[in-house]
Amino acid sequence: MEESNISSSTSSSIVPIPKTRERKAMKEAKKKKKPESSTGVSSDVPISSLGAAFVHLITGLSLAVGFWVARNKLSVDLVSDPSLTLFLLWSIEFPAVGLKMLAFLVLLSALLIYESYFRALGRSILGLISGAFMNTLGAVALGAPIGMQYLPKTIHWSFLMSVFTFVPATAVFGASWTDWHRVFASMKTSGNTEYMILVPAYGAIIGGWFGAWPMPLDWERPWQEWPICVCYGAIGGYVVGLINEFHFVLTFDLIARLREDNRAEFLLA
Amino acid sequence: MTTAMTCTRLTIFTVAGVLIQIIGLSIFVFGFFPVKPTLSGVSGRESYRNPFCDSAPTSNESEIHPEKLRLLYQELSGISSKYDRLILMVIDGLPAEFVLGKDGQPPWKAWKESMPYTQSLLANGDAIGYHAKAAPPTVTMPRLKAMVSGAIGGFLDVAFNFNTQALLDDNLLGQFFRIGWKMVMLGDETWLKLFPGLFMRHDGVSSFFVKDTVQVDRNVSRHLPDEFNSHDWNLLILHYLGLDHVGHTGGRNSPLMASKLKEMDDVVRTMHLRAMVDRRHDQGQTLLIVVSDHGMTENGNHGGSSYEETDSLMLFIGLSSNSSDYAAATNNVAFQVDLAPTLALLFGVPIPKNNVGVLVPGTLSSLRDYEQLKALELNSWQLLRLMQAQIPSSSFVGFSCNCFLDGTCEGLGSDISECSGDREKQLICLFRNADVLHGIWKSKKLTESSSAMEDFSRALDAYNVFLKTASEWLASKTTEKPVFLLGLGVSAMLLSCFVCVTLFLSLLKEVYHEPKDRVYSLTCLLNLEEVFILVVLLISVISMGSSSMVEEEHYIWHFMVSTFYLLLLLKTAKSFNLSTGLNILRDHKIGSIFLLLISGRLLRGWRQGGVNWTYLPDISKWLEQVGSGYVKWIQLISNFLVIGLGLFTLFRTGSKRKSVCILAFGFSTCGFLILLHAWRYQDDMFADYGATVTAKLIYMFLSLSAIGAALVLPWSMLNKDKSFLAEAGDCLYLIGSAYILCWCLLQLLLQQPINSGAILLLLIQILAISSLSSKDLQVKEWIEIAALYYMGMAGHFALGNSNTLATIDVAGAFIGISSHSTILSGILMFMITYASPLLFLLSLVMYIGAKLRNQSHSHGDTNLGQALKLTLGFPCLVPLCISSILLTAYTAVLLLMRNHLFVWSVFSPKYLYVCATTLCTYIGVCIVAVTVTYTFSVTTFLRSNATTRQRLVDS
Repeated sequence: MEESNISSSTSSSIVPIPKTRERKAMKEAKKKKKPESSTGVSSDVPISSLGAAFVHLITGLSLAVGFWVARNKLSVDLVSDPSLTLFLLWSIEFPAVGLKMLAFLVLLSALLIYESYFRALGRSILGLISGAFMNTLGAVALGAPIGMQYLPKTIHWSFLMSVFTFVPATAVFGASWTDWHRVFASMKTSGNTEYMILVPAYGAIIGGWFGAWPMPLDWERPWQEWPICVCYGAIGGYVVGLINEFHFVLTFDLIARLREDNRAEFLLA
Repeated sequence: MTTAMTCTRLTIFTVAGVLIQIIGLSIFVFGFFPVKPTLSGVSGRESYRNPFCDSAPTSNESEIHPEKLRLLYQELSGISSKYDRLILMVIDGLPAEFVLGKDGQPPWKAWKESMPYTQSLLANGDAIGYHAKAAPPTVTMPRLKAMVSGAIGGFLDVAFNFNTQALLDDNLLGQFFRIGWKMVMLGDETWLKLFPGLFMRHDGVSSFFVKDTVQVDRNVSRHLPDEFNSHDWNLLILHYLGLDHVGHTGGRNSPLMASKLKEMDDVVRTMHLRAMVDRRHDQGQTLLIVVSDHGMTENGNHGGSSYEETDSLMLFIGLSSNSSDYAAATNNVAFQVDLAPTLALLFGVPIPKNNVGVLVPGTLSSLRDYEQLKALELNSWQLLRLMQAQIPSSSFVGFSCNCFLDGTCEGLGSDISECSGDREKQLICLFRNADVLHGIWKSKKLTESSSAMEDFSRALDAYNVFLKTASEWLASKTTEKPVFLLGLGVSAMLLSCFVCVTLFLSLLKEVYHEPKDRVYSLTCLLNLEEVFILVVLLISVISMGSSSMVEEEHYIWHFMVSTFYLLLLLKTAKSFNLSTGLNILRDHKIGSIFLLLISGRLLRGWRQGGVNWTYLPDISKWLEQVGSGYVKWIQLISNFLVIGLGLFTLFRTGSKRKSVCILAFGFSTCGFLILLHAWRYQDDMFADYGATVTAKLIYMFLSLSAIGAALVLPWSMLNKDKSFLAEAGDCLYLIGSAYILCWCLLQLLLQQPINSGAILLLLIQILAISSLSSKDLQVKEWIEIAALYYMGMAGHFALGNSNTLATIDVAGAFIGISSHSTILSGILMFMITYASPLLFLLSLVMYIGAKLRNQSHSHGDTNLGQALKLTLGFPCLVPLCISSILLTAYTAVLLLMRNHLFVWSVFSPKYLYVCATTLCTYIGVCIVAVTVTYTFSVTTFLRSNATTRQRLVDS
């Protein structure tokens, strides 16, 4: 984590001048409520904290909405009916995450053409399915039970995990192997969009990994069943990742701004 | 410690560390596992006197004639003995559930219908049955000791289970012998070993041939007609082993179980009709007691402390109790140790000194009321004597002889009071209450008061409360520990752990920081895998503190090992570069990792281990359900594949020397023999002569091949074109693969047929990881070795082992042994249990060989010691470090948990396993070290010889 932090902050400090211009362009664009600065798009563009706060709120809130709907509308929860609840959670979370990534892309003005929205949508759906497949494989490798009575639970769990991990990445990277490799394997992020993809995804995975620990204990609680506590762990990890990322985006913004100010003063002097 | 450590110093330090650890471990074990708190000597006539009364110096009772002694005891006790003969029928491994049912429910129909006579006795009220809870460890010898002496044995009795020795403590049989009883024993020869010379007639059968379920019981029953006709005996012990053997071979639901139960029922009927009903009344009465020493799990194993294993039977036939209610005759609970005082009081002998059991309620109902109270009083006095040995005598201040009766106890009122305060005070107070009530009843009885009946039941209750509390307290007291020994043992273990870790760290420093030119950075120092390996160690240490994690330890190892594979995958993906294209090398790497993942998952699902979730479906259960034919096929296929893979590994070096060919031929022969053995002899219930010979042949071939390979191969490998290290590496690789193949073949012979698939998977894992490590995984050496150790542990659980003693495969330990030998079958049992960890430790030889072959170019000519240190340092130190850390940590956990409820049932068996794992690590590391050292020295010798010869030729 530390490493990526350092690398991204250094990368931002190395190329400050064009960025400031873009920042100004961004601000103007925001005033006009219309993204215009389209030239030289890179994912490095810092985004405003307000936008970040807003889009973060979407994903966090939609999780809460998912739980609320499950409990109050259908009166189920993870313990009583894990499949249905998981289905609700991921089907509500998926558009939210998609929206979030789209919003970022819009804010970054990486997407201008109308068709690209559809392409991003298609990519996300493909990512959702392939991600679910990968997550199923991972869970089974780590010991998820195999059997017909577990199959729906495993599948819905995988879809939720896919929403947490794969969907944001596919929405931004598509099938670009180099980006995937750089971000997920080498954990070298450049800019806060990639950081935003990486941190909650790893948070969900690590949270799920730790969430599996109470399963063999003989407390005889209903939530020790697969995949309930793993879900709790993954959601917890994801939320921690979101908070961490949100915090990072804010401070990153601040630091970058301070640095730029200093540099500007230095240059002026 | 200097940074540049020589090989000798390293060796000396390591050996010293190991020795310290062994010493510390033995000190700790003998301190921790209780040698039960025994009162020495034998109960005599003083046991009929109040313990507070100053006992007159007793004359030597051994001089009294047995018959006189019997009359003396009867007179002193004041209890008339109705019975003059006792038949004790022990059915080994019969769970009480088979006869009495469970939770108030009658037993299963199949079981109930198999024992019609016993059930009719229960229904008529002629018999009364008890669920007698046995204390762990539930193996035969300690349980027999508990039944006849009433004392709960130490845990280490298990270790001596195969080496039965005479029971020297005070026990029932000794007491019976003293009053001149004639005893006959038919059945398990454990009795003969426990009580040598006590029996007038005996016919011992051996529990050695586990697959023999018929003959072993016929050998007992064939004597019965003779014994019924001769009236010279007082005690007849019948110990039937067949039911336990049925359980071991087929589990509770074995098809043989019903017929075995029927056979036992017939024996009960014969005995009841011939020895009890037909007997004339002037000849006295016979009491028949049917007991079992322990129960069995669903799979027919025993040793642990689950309900199924501890639920043993105690059935009294001929007590003439007046209840004719089936439920009242079956829903009774007692402890196994309660048999000793009950029998002692029923037959008028003193209760054994160290007994902690209490009179079984309901067995005395035929006695008169004052006799009942007297019996309870005698039992209380005996327990009080045992307590006096453990409670400081200051607690008994104020007690004196008969003071309760006279009302002259100082500072103690003569009326009953509520008992509170600490345990000791409470016990004394309870005893006082009972004694006072007894006194009141006695005085009322003299005056023929009308409320005598009420006082009687009050006194009875008070005695029962005291007995129950005292028995529990005494049973828990067996866990008293000598603090000094424990401290010494733990500190020695800590020291050795410290030594090992320091050596490892210094070696680490030396190996990875010697090239100073390498860029040093913090992120390189600890990467993800290293952190993970340490985290695994930490987690396994922490999880040892939780009893359920100990029970379900297999989950941890499988989870951790799978996570490690995934980390490897991540690592490979990290170094994967699209620009260089999908080169084949990487593909192999990823393929190997996927192979590891798949085989790891299959191994995880192979056997559902542990304690709480054994009922969940797994591959082995599924295969057995589908049909035994499939198991056979799996066995056949894995046998072929193991041989094929092994030969492939042998020939992969490309060497087609004669020695290698001979080796390959030897292994193929072994494989053929094992197939023959599996195909022909597996289904036989009797140990066939042919099977034994075949197994012996296999042992011989395998040991010859392995030892021969290790001894001969280094001499035949001289190749001048290669460097010294490459040559030694080639040789070690061959020896290592020979070791592995040999071990796998041995396991295919020894393990249960269903495990042969798992053995194959383990071999595949080893080959996959060795092919991975030979392809420059960019993972440090010590990480790979630690991972091998962890994989060995995961495999250990995949073979169906767990942390309870019940999963040890006893049946396999007798393959190929023709006579009973404790040591040989113990070694075989160890080999079966530690198949996987030893396999992975042995694979270190191959691993070292492969490493040397790969990096031979980078090392120049170094001296022997340096080369040895660099090649052997990590493979020896890493397993030693891990096992010593785990051992020390678990010792600390055991100390902390010494008052835990599950200390004897969960933590202590696990400790035995941890000790055995440590031993296994020692053995494995020793083999690796010796092999590598031998190979290196031979190679050096040959090369120096060759160079001198060369020089001679040149000159």
